[in-house]
Order: sequence, then C-alpha cells, then structure tokens
Amino acid sequence: MGSPCHFALFDLQPSFRLDLEQLAVRYRELARNVHPDRFADASEREQRLALEHSASLNEAYRTLKHAPSRARYLLALRGDELPLEVTVQDPDFLMQQMHWREELEDLQDSADLAGVAVFKRRLKVAQDELNESFAVCWDAPQRRTEAERLMRRMQFLDKLSHEVRQLEERLDD
Amino acid sequence: MAYSEKVIDHYENPRNVGKMDAQDPDVGTGMVGAPACGDVMRLQIKVNEQGVIEDAKFKTYGCGSAIASSSLATEWMKGKTLDEAETIKNTQLAEELALPPVKIHCSVLAEDAIKAAVRDYKQKKGLL
Repeated sequence: MGSPCHFALFDLQPSFRLDLEQLAVRYRELARNVHPDRFADASEREQRLALEHSASLNEAYRTLKHAPSRARYLLALRGDELPLEVTVQDPDFLMQQMHWREELEDLQDSADLAGVAVFKRRLKVAQDELNESFAVCWDAPQRRTEAERLMRRMQFLDKLSHEVRQLEERLDD
Repeated sequence: MAYSEKVIDHYENPRNVGKMDAQDPDVGTGMVGAPACGDVMRLQIKVNEQGVIEDAKFKTYGCGSAIASSSLATEWMKGKTLDEAETIKNTQLAEELALPPVKIHCSVLAEDAIKAAVRDYKQKKGLL
C-alpha cells in the first residue's frame, strides 16, 4: 500500500460515506496545483515530483470515486488486502444475479427501452441498499466476512450496471 | 484480443446449455461467480446409482472464455465418476482451449464450479 493514504490526499478521514461532488471539486483543485503546465519553468526534480504527485492523485480519485473500489480500498486499509479476482460462492445472491441477467437478455431481445429503464431503477435501489449495508459494517472487526461479501456483491452489481448502460446505447441506436 | 478456434467453437456452439431441477436428489448444482468481471456460472450434474455422471448442464453469463470453459467442463464430466470429475484441473481446461494468461481465471471459475456441483451432490446424499 502506497503512502500517504488515498483519503489523506484529499484531507479526508477513511470512510465509506463520501460526498462525491465535494470529492470532485477537491480533486480538480488539487490537480490544478500539480498540473505539468505549472512546472514548465521548474527544475527537473520539481517536475518529476509534480508528475508523481499527479499520478497518485489520479489513482486516489479513481479508487475513491467508485463504491466497489472504495470499499475494497477501505478493507485493505484495515489490513485485508483482497485480490480483485476470486471465485465467489454466494448461492442465493448469484441465483438472483442469474435471474437478472436472464431478464436483461429478454429486454434486449424485445428491445424494450421502457423495461430497461425500470430494470435500471431497480438495480440502483439494490446498489444503494448494498452501499448502505457496507457503510455500517466495514470497520467492525467482527463483521469482516460480511463486509467482504458485500464488497464482492458491489462488484457484481457494478458490472451489471455497465451492461445495462451498454444495452441502452445499443437500443438507442 | 483474439480467441482461439476452440474457444470460438464452444462460444458459438456451446454444449449442454440448460437447466436441471436443483431439488432433484440426483442432481448436484454448483453456483459460482467472478465479481471483478461479473461472470456468473451455474453447472449441474445428474448422477446415477453407480456414481457416474450421466448428464451435465451449464449456464454462464460472462465472456467467451468463461462460456467455453464451462461448456468444455460439462463435456469432460459426462461419463466420469464423481471422483474422476473432481480431478479435472483448470490448467487442463485452459490448455485445451489455449486460453491466454489474462483469461486463466475463467478456467479457474469452471474448476470451482465442478467442485461446487460435486460437493452439492455429495451433501444431498449425506456423503460428506
């Protein structure tokens, strides 16, 4: 884990609940300060430092902006470095995922844009619920297994929402 | 990224796609997923009294490599005993399909699905 922590770069305490608009504003401010253009006349060392700072700022922003990567990062901060790619056995949840994929396939076959909109809203509700559950349990040591399971579920739903967006684009054409 | 001919073949003509009744006492169901790519895989086996896998079915939502890995897994499992099926390794699936390194995890997922299906069946029969 690189130092300083991603949250510290933005003067924030590690937390899952985050004001994303505020984070974006802060990111733009900080990014301006280390923008290469500002260092055109600086020494080579200063230029290199600015570049490194800019890279870690981008990395931090990318990680914190998205709920699943923020969740994974928080668990890593707590000492649980979890690999990105694993096999998950969470039967009821996976069964539900399979049903949702089937539904999405049907929506694609029937080119049902209104149906996709309804699907999208339902997915958003599920994501919000999941985020809320994670927010209350991520820093409780006795609930680590649960926190990891929730983070994995977030990854699945994130991927699913990507596919919903792609389907929308295809149907829009 | 270019898929191998074998992957494309399994992707375009997947073997044994389908669903069995998960409540059937002779059916074992393995349900696994890969969160980062969002793949979901269901692999089912029907086992006869001699402990031989008579039939295998799968359904996979995921990339071509994940679909090909599970399709090939069902092909290989048919006619095998449970113990034989459990020895199928992801490296064998990956080699047969000529999966590139970045897609090895798809074959791992299929191996995990095989093991989960066998375990589910054994649990049902009180063999564990």
